[in-house]
Amino acid sequence: MAALPLYILLCSGEHEKVHMAAMMASVGAVSERSVEVFVSMNAIFAFAQDAPERYRGGAFSDLMKQKRVTDSIMLFRQGKELGDLKMWACSMALDVTGWDEDRLTADLFDGPLGLTKFLSDAENGQFVTL
Amino acid sequence: MAERTKIDARGAFCPGPLMELIAGLKLVDVGDEIEVLSSDKGSATDIPEWVKKVHHELVGVTQQEGVWSIVVRKAK
Repeated sequence: MAALPLYILLCSGEHEKVHMAAMMASVGAVSERSVEVFVSMNAIFAFAQDAPERYRGGAFSDLMKQKRVTDSIMLFRQGKELGDLKMWACSMALDVTGWDEDRLTADLFDGPLGLTKFLSDAENGQFVTL
Repeated sequence: MAERTKIDARGAFCPGPLMELIAGLKLVDVGDEIEVLSSDKGSATDIPEWVKKVHHELVGVTQQEGVWSIVVRKAK
């Protein structure tokens, strides 16, 4: 039986949560599972093309930086390159920030998407919010 | 004749060794083997679990001085 698709709603810009989303998305996508990530609220700032300080977090974030844990954006990229991973930028978040898609990290997002469509697609999958 | 490639993923954190294995498997032929060296404890269980899930073959897992050697045969 095929695994349920995994839908990740990423709202937090906290480094630890962005990284956990990246780990779940990349591992899920390379494990013959379809994964979709919807990036909204503060999380959108972690995906800015020109973010001066991309990852802000707590003690564990400091440790990850110190130990040079793989960059979260790099993990999302690996998930896309090696598996079935789609990334969506919340259209509301883009409206509120006034950003075009060009402001986001290049070649990562599959486009903007509304929450209604994402929730509708997620009805038959496993849903995780971070 | 089947070949074996070695990937040295020591120092990489989870899921780095697994991702390196998957990238490596894309480059070799069916029947070839990849040996992943990992200092990440989770690799010893995570990689065999992934191999089982996606139907490759686990040749073996050994550990010496904090480094795990996980050998996988590409089955498809």
